[in-house]
Amino acid sequence: MKKYKKWIAMGVIGFLIFLGFFTGYILQRQKSSTPLSLIYIPKTEDGTSDFWSSLISGARMAASEYGAQLEVMAPKNEQDVKGQIRLLKKAIEQNPDGILFSTSSSSAANEDLKKAKEKGICITYIDSCTSEELQDLTVATDNVEAGRRLGEYARTIIGKDDKIAVISHVKGVSTAVEREQGFREGLGDYEKNIVEVVYCNSLFDRSYNLAKELMEKYPDLKMIAGMNEYSSVGAARAVKEAEAKDRIATVGIDSSQEAVQLMEQGVFKAFVVQKAFKMGYLGVKETILHLEGKKEEKNIDSGCELITPENMYNSEMEKLLFPFNTKKNT
Amino acid sequence: MKEKKKNRDVLRHFKSVRSALFAAISVMVLCAVVIVVAISLRFTRTSVFDNAVVYTRTIVRQTNQNIDSYIDYMDNIVTMVSGSRDTQSFLYDKDEETLQVSECRQRLVEQFRTILKSRSDIRNIGLIQKDGNRLFNNGGQQKNAYLDLDTQAWYKNAITSNRSVLTSSHVQHVIRGERPWVITVSRGVRNFTGSGNREGVVFIDLNYSAISELCDQNSIGSKGYVFLLDQDGNVVYHPQQQQLYNELQTENIDLVMNTDKETLMDGSGDNAKIYTISRSEKTGWTVVGCTNVAELLKDSKKARSIYVLVAAILVIAALVLSNLISRNITRPLQQLRDSMARVQEGDFGAAEVEVTSRNEVGSLTRSFNVMTSRIQELMKQNIYEQQQKRKSELKALQSQINPHFLYNTLDSIIWMAEGKKNEEVVVMTASLARLLRQSISNEEEQVPIGQEVEYARSYLTIQKMRYKDKLEFQIQVDAQIMGVPIIKLVLQPLIENAIYHGLKYKEGKGLLIVRGYREGENAVIQIKDNGAGMDEQTLSHIFEKHKVNYRSNGVGVYNVQKRLQLYYGMDYGITYSSRQGEGTTASIVIPMNMIPMKQEADHEKI
Repeated sequence: MKKYKKWIAMGVIGFLIFLGFFTGYILQRQKSSTPLSLIYIPKTEDGTSDFWSSLISGARMAASEYGAQLEVMAPKNEQDVKGQIRLLKKAIEQNPDGILFSTSSSSAANEDLKKAKEKGICITYIDSCTSEELQDLTVATDNVEAGRRLGEYARTIIGKDDKIAVISHVKGVSTAVEREQGFREGLGDYEKNIVEVVYCNSLFDRSYNLAKELMEKYPDLKMIAGMNEYSSVGAARAVKEAEAKDRIATVGIDSSQEAVQLMEQGVFKAFVVQKAFKMGYLGVKETILHLEGKKEEKNIDSGCELITPENMYNSEMEKLLFPFNTKKNT
Repeated sequence: MKEKKKNRDVLRHFKSVRSALFAAISVMVLCAVVIVVAISLRFTRTSVFDNAVVYTRTIVRQTNQNIDSYIDYMDNIVTMVSGSRDTQSFLYDKDEETLQVSECRQRLVEQFRTILKSRSDIRNIGLIQKDGNRLFNNGGQQKNAYLDLDTQAWYKNAITSNRSVLTSSHVQHVIRGERPWVITVSRGVRNFTGSGNREGVVFIDLNYSAISELCDQNSIGSKGYVFLLDQDGNVVYHPQQQQLYNELQTENIDLVMNTDKETLMDGSGDNAKIYTISRSEKTGWTVVGCTNVAELLKDSKKARSIYVLVAAILVIAALVLSNLISRNITRPLQQLRDSMARVQEGDFGAAEVEVTSRNEVGSLTRSFNVMTSRIQELMKQNIYEQQQKRKSELKALQSQINPHFLYNTLDSIIWMAEGKKNEEVVVMTASLARLLRQSISNEEEQVPIGQEVEYARSYLTIQKMRYKDKLEFQIQVDAQIMGVPIIKLVLQPLIENAIYHGLKYKEGKGLLIVRGYREGENAVIQIKDNGAGMDEQTLSHIFEKHKVNYRSNGVGVYNVQKRLQLYYGMDYGITYSSRQGEGTTASIVIPMNMIPMKQEADHEKI
């Protein structure tokens, strides 16, 4: 009989151990981790740029979906490099889990980003990169590809000796360099037609003025290509004002409601849209996955699309051109 | 049958009925619990799925009906507006007085205002034609001048159809300065005053507040949701429409659009989804309910863990219970076994077993009790009978005064009396009287050694007077053993034996010494004579029955020895030592303290 008692006792003990593990397992599963804290520093959030507001809304949506805390610290305008550095320093002081950064300059932020890395903060580049590779991951449009697609299309709407002027945003900034490079690649042997490259420092007015100057300087100019929203829309305004829309084809990268209108009006012949919402969303999502150790991929391409007056009312293009935000915010 | 036999064999391996019972009950309960749990787990899994599917199906159908009636309602508004006289004249009365047109416009604006006020889900309501009057909402907004209406599906389809047209999610470009995502219900308006063709369109743009409410009002679990597809598989509404539009979220729309089934599975593992589909005849749209399989599994996992828990508790309870039951069933059996073992050892003292049950074991116990009590009775009776037998045997063996001795003594007294030896006559008669009294009167089996010694003394006194010059005696008995009980008439026959076989043949005067002393736990009485003695052969035959000497008192040494051993056991009795020509010593050994009767009875049996 003693033997059986031993068996029973062993069974009961085993059962209790099993219960212990079981409850432990359940408790562990129920234990909710503290939300990750993220800070996003875009180039600007001035309300005039659909690109940035769309990007930020994507970032916010991803943060709320994945249960992270996202704070957006935005300088007033894109050329406020010092302001952006100040915000970056402030963000590093807060010691968040991750900083998402869209640099306005190619190298000004390098020192501070190094400090942030030393503190163990995950650095994610969104949209643009610095001259040094300090990031843990990058979520951006393949800017060379964007430029190339624009260049390839541009080649189909101009003649082989038609003059092309390029208005870029900031000299030396990664996006500007890469897009111009891509644009040139896309143009192929038409590349020689580029008569001048100017920089508007991401200001509508400056771009507008530059376009006017270019039109005066080159009366037989056939195409103006803007390398971002400010440069292309500014140029388009100038072309529209000069009533030169049939003479000068305006193409660009990035869109806005104004750009769409200008395309409807026949000023814009084409533009490449970046998927700003997707970029912001993926930026936050990938950062969270990286912090949780679930993802290894370092460079994420958010993609781009070429819009022309022919396809602008297609449902697929509408989805990119017009942010779907009629719905109550989730 | 074979199985059963085998089973029985298995149970035979157990050392006790209790463990066999315990094992059998435990195994049975365990099997039952395991089977029940397995079945219910399976059943739970399927029923969780089935319930989810049925529930989702109900929701999806309900949603579909709601959307139908919602679109119906909008259709009614559009139809009403398109059929009104005001619309006709506002759109097509070109040459009439502008006053009338503006009156119509006024009434339409009023109507639109009322509609917009009461329906917050209507983004825009308007009348449009390529050229001529247009009206949007309260009349304050302008058409997007650069928009080619023919590129807009909601317009183109309304112009060519004689029914209301439903256009799923798209961007409304028609009003200048805004480009909202809307769902449009539009209807062409025939120009009855002019060509008779449909030249103008009434449209209502719906924002998503009502649709999202209809789709979101019923939750399908915490991760499930409802979305809406149009006839071409484009998403009309999705709770994560923005993510879907930005390729951040995917639905297997091809699968949904190309199936006739109402329910289908997509994906595997944690990402598996169940699509529940309901198509609408009226709108051509498809309501799809999406259920997260992982979530369902979580529910069934929860149920599973509860089942396992309950099963474990049941098993433990079953083990405890089967232990109790087997103990209860087998306790009387064990008691019976223990009692039998005791009886086997000869202990009848606690043989009676308490009868606790009315079943077979109970009757067995009763029978056992009856049996043991009968055995006990029989044994008691046996012992009693043995005792009686021994008593009567003892009695029979108890020697009486040899009649020859009495005649001889009386003859001696007569001769003494004739010889006028008065004093000697008195002594002899007194001794004889004492001897007779002692041998007849005392009914007790045992007497103290002292009394026996006195009896021997009386006998020796008589004999000494009869064989004057032939016998001398001495009695030396320790006072210590005087009180020790001894069976009657032991000394006298031995003394008689010593006189007749030893001293009688001795030439000259013989000496007989009676000595009594203690030796350890025993009392020893020696009768020592210096008579003829015996050779080895005679000595070895001394206790034989046939040696009874009828001349003497008729009982002889054999009887005394037999009585002593009957009474005290084989360890006690008489031992002889003798030497030819030198004399004989008889030693009687008895215990100082009488040992119990029972042991003696056993010895007797053996």
